[in-house]
Amino acid sequence: MAVRGIDEREEKKSYGSVFLLGSALLVVATLWSFWDDNITRRAWKAYQAHFYRLDYQKAKAAYAEEDKKLQADPAYQELAKKLAAEKHSLEKGELSKKLKALESQEKTATVRFGELDQEVKFIKSELEEAWYEHDHALQQGRSTKPYEEIIRGLNERQAKWEPAVEKARQEKDRIKEEIKKITSGVKELEDELSKKTAERDKWLTPIQNATIVQNPVVFYKIPNIRQVVLNEFDRNTFDQPIARVDRCQTCHTAVNRPGFEKEPHPYRTHPRREVLLADNAHPPEKFGCTPCHEGQGPAVNSPMKAHGEVLPGEHNYWEHPLLRGPKVQSSCASCHLNIQSFEDAPLLAQGQRTFEQIGCTGCHLIKGYEDIPKIGPSLKRISAKVDPSWMVRWIENPHKFRPRTRMPNFDFKEDEALAITAFLWSLSKEEGDKWLQEHPLPSGYREGDQNLAAQGKTLVESVGCKGCHGFADGEFSTVVGKEKDLVPNLKDIGAKVGARWIYHWVKNPRDFSPATRMPSLRLTDSEASAITTYLTTLGNKSEPIAGVQERLADNKNIKRGESLVRKYGCFGCHDIQGMEKESRIGVELTTFGSKTLEELFFGNHTDIPNTWDDWTYNKLKTPRTYATERVEQVMPQFDLTDDDIKAIRIVLAGFQDRKVPPRYLADHGLRVTQVVEGRRLMHQYNCIGCHEIERRGGFIRKYYQENPTLAPPVLNGEGEKVQSPWLFSFLKAPFSIRPWLRLRMPTFGFSDQEANLLVSYFNGLSKLEVPYAYFDEGKVPREHLDAARVLVSKDYFNCFSCHQQGERKPEGPEEGWAPDLNLARNRLNPNWIIKWLQDPQKVQPGTKMPSFFPGGPDNVLGGKDDRQIEALRDYIMMSGKESAPAESRKKVARR
Amino acid sequence: MKKMISTFLSGALLLFPLSAVLAYDGGAVSDGGTITGSVKFKGTAPAPKKIEANKDTEVCGKTPKTDASLIVSGGNLVNAVVYISDIKKGKKMEPQKVTLDQKGCEYHPHVLAFPAGSTVEIQNPDGILHNIHSYSKVNSPFNIAQPKFKKSVPQKIDKPETINVKCDVHGWMNGWLFAAENPYYGVTDNSGNFKLTDVPPGNYTVEVWHETLGKTTQKVTVKAKEEAKVNFEMAKK
Repeated sequence: MAVRGIDEREEKKSYGSVFLLGSALLVVATLWSFWDDNITRRAWKAYQAHFYRLDYQKAKAAYAEEDKKLQADPAYQELAKKLAAEKHSLEKGELSKKLKALESQEKTATVRFGELDQEVKFIKSELEEAWYEHDHALQQGRSTKPYEEIIRGLNERQAKWEPAVEKARQEKDRIKEEIKKITSGVKELEDELSKKTAERDKWLTPIQNATIVQNPVVFYKIPNIRQVVLNEFDRNTFDQPIARVDRCQTCHTAVNRPGFEKEPHPYRTHPRREVLLADNAHPPEKFGCTPCHEGQGPAVNSPMKAHGEVLPGEHNYWEHPLLRGPKVQSSCASCHLNIQSFEDAPLLAQGQRTFEQIGCTGCHLIKGYEDIPKIGPSLKRISAKVDPSWMVRWIENPHKFRPRTRMPNFDFKEDEALAITAFLWSLSKEEGDKWLQEHPLPSGYREGDQNLAAQGKTLVESVGCKGCHGFADGEFSTVVGKEKDLVPNLKDIGAKVGARWIYHWVKNPRDFSPATRMPSLRLTDSEASAITTYLTTLGNKSEPIAGVQERLADNKNIKRGESLVRKYGCFGCHDIQGMEKESRIGVELTTFGSKTLEELFFGNHTDIPNTWDDWTYNKLKTPRTYATERVEQVMPQFDLTDDDIKAIRIVLAGFQDRKVPPRYLADHGLRVTQVVEGRRLMHQYNCIGCHEIERRGGFIRKYYQENPTLAPPVLNGEGEKVQSPWLFSFLKAPFSIRPWLRLRMPTFGFSDQEANLLVSYFNGLSKLEVPYAYFDEGKVPREHLDAARVLVSKDYFNCFSCHQQGERKPEGPEEGWAPDLNLARNRLNPNWIIKWLQDPQKVQPGTKMPSFFPGGPDNVLGGKDDRQIEALRDYIMMSGKESAPAESRKKVARR
Repeated sequence: MKKMISTFLSGALLLFPLSAVLAYDGGAVSDGGTITGSVKFKGTAPAPKKIEANKDTEVCGKTPKTDASLIVSGGNLVNAVVYISDIKKGKKMEPQKVTLDQKGCEYHPHVLAFPAGSTVEIQNPDGILHNIHSYSKVNSPFNIAQPKFKKSVPQKIDKPETINVKCDVHGWMNGWLFAAENPYYGVTDNSGNFKLTDVPPGNYTVEVWHETLGKTTQKVTVKAKEEAKVNFEMAKK
């Protein structure tokens, strides 16, 4: 009978297959979700797992190799054998029985001692109690008598027990000592053996670190996320500090592990790890990787996401793509000030030098670079200096006359160039004419005198002009970037300026232009005449432009010139009357490196890939490339090489809007700022044209390869060498320390502030915390001076064979001489003299000064080198004192 | 694992040939031949320039001095070093003790040749201050003072190099140390002759170096127990 409402067939239907399918799907989905969660979306797990395997295998192999070496080492074998024998005798035979007996005795003795000791401890506690009651009674005014009784009793009891305790202790110690004696052989051998096996056993640590041991199973460590959190490193859109999370080392497991240098990424050791990742540099456990390398710190799901790179063709732009290779150098400036001293960021250092010296800051404001002086010469008296036709052509295209000049090409038409000349001429005419009136050519000056010109050439080549200037094609000193001259090449100077101006300029450059960097070489009138004659022979006179004088005087031209000067911002690099207060005409670049693509204008270009790198490269390569019919661009052409552009681009990429909090910054202390500012000044005056400083420069030395002793001194470590007050006054008023040099240290006319800054720069480079050292002459022992007098004498070191001492001059030609020892007292740092005498070659490689130590004579000051060096130092520091050491002694003797 | 083996192999390949190039392998040579010959100067020999000792004349001025940078004796070039430049295997090379004497403020001999690794005893019998300043680039340069009381200073020269030595006290003093790479070298005397013995049979390049005239080379084939002759002629460039 059928029940109403119930479909029997329905009841009998089996849903087994549906459930089976459903549960199968569930199982598959569950498995898939596990797979997806653990493998597909956790790519880092595979990387880390692979690393553990690699690490384990490497360590295992290294262990096996060391072990093989040990097995082959007879000394090790013998030790191991000895140890085994020793152990054997302890385990078996007579000795072992004795040892066992002793061990059981020790147990008994220890128990016995413990029991007795405890007894005494109980008595002591009772005593404590009794004393408490006693004091309590005393404070309450009760009688203390009963307690005194108890205390006396307890004291007696304690005294009775104590000898027994002491005896038990001695017994116990005696047995222990005996056991130690028997086992000491094994212990010693074990120690010795572990010293031998240390090289091998150190590999056990990585083996243990890569594995988990659950006896009897051993498996590799389970991968986990490794992250570094840099608190308050970043700022969010509301300018609140937020932490940066850096998980790079989840995959890059070996960055700070030596021995993985040849592995593929991500298992490779960081290059220059020992320097860059050192504890005093960037320990990765503190900084992670992104502060230098950028990328998406927290992303670990795939390398592409983590690295956030712009993939060619896909244009999926990320704001902070990974910085690889040399590009990472752009990050240094975020935390470091003194980047030009970095060996590991050569591109950045080079780029920053070029950036500072090519004149970028004339038109662009960048915080931190505001104080760089204008790089071009002042134009306030230009009409008294140059040939007007030359000037028009120069403004038209400076690279035509001097391809290596720093002045960029503005691509002016001739009439524009003439208008600008007219304007500048009109401004400087009055000043210039006045100067000309006051500075006539010396009477009797004859232009083109062959003899005089030859003399001038010799002078130019010997007094030091070539430290800065070139005088022919291919001659140059300091190079800006790859191929720009810091200082003009004078091979065609005759086309630009005339004899009258040259004469007064070389005699005293600051007279014509008070702000010039050109120093005075203290030339005599006749020297200046000779040099002038020589320079006027270089290059042909300029072809005059028809009617140039009238056109320069034309008011229309002057007006037009003024607007061009304003438009192109000539005052960014040159001093021009009435334009001292003009502001920079270019855009501010302080945060240029943070500009996003939307902020960069590509003009009508479709051929340039849309990246910051490409935009910047093309802007520097062809500065007006993004101009369109409606958008004018005025940036001039610098004609930089590709290398220069890439180096400058690194610097620009470092101009970021994010500010790293102070606690993450490198040293920005006074010493470092002084070094940075001093170096800028040093570059400005081109000290490295002649001197090697910070192991760079000394470009004039190439003319002295035959005889390097005639080249200017190398100034590496100068801060440590000389006394600050001396250096200051020497910079202010240089004099000849090495009379055999034809080269002259020029007078730069430094201000007090500049000279001080240079002194601090040298001190800072030498990491000199204390620039002054006191030398107490009163404390110099008599025997030091006596000994030193013997040491410097002819039969010993014969110092005066080369060194001058006041009026006492050495034999032979001057170029074989060495500096006057009488100068040392005020000039040299006493501690430096010690270092110098210990090893002159180490202080100044290649110096003529030979090493006298080790190997001082046996019969002076007990033959002790250290004492002889100190004695010489004392002597040198006293040499030339008004009462010279030798003299004063005589006087004393006479009395 | 395969990767490891291949990296190891390529590493080994990289390292091995280098060491083979650098090292000279010395041993017993039983059937060696001999290379003999002479070095002549082409052209008219310049008259030797006189050198005036302008310092410490009581010692240095005793003997007359001439510029030794180019000495020609009867057409023969003196002080030229002749050596096999490309020999890798041959007779045993052992460090020696050689002497460089500064007597009378001149270096004797003017050119001193010895196998690399040898020790040069630098002697100062003059009783005045000398300093021996090496202008070396491969070996670490030295500049040692040698006062009166230091009669002799030993200096080891580890690596093969031709080194100029000078004395800064006496500007005219000039000498050469030739630290040879292999034991096949010789310095020509007044006869201009040289002789390299116990050379294993094979083809070699013989090179001549002279401080003023530079270098010249010739190929030579050496047969067992025979004498191979090779003559050089050098001229001013």
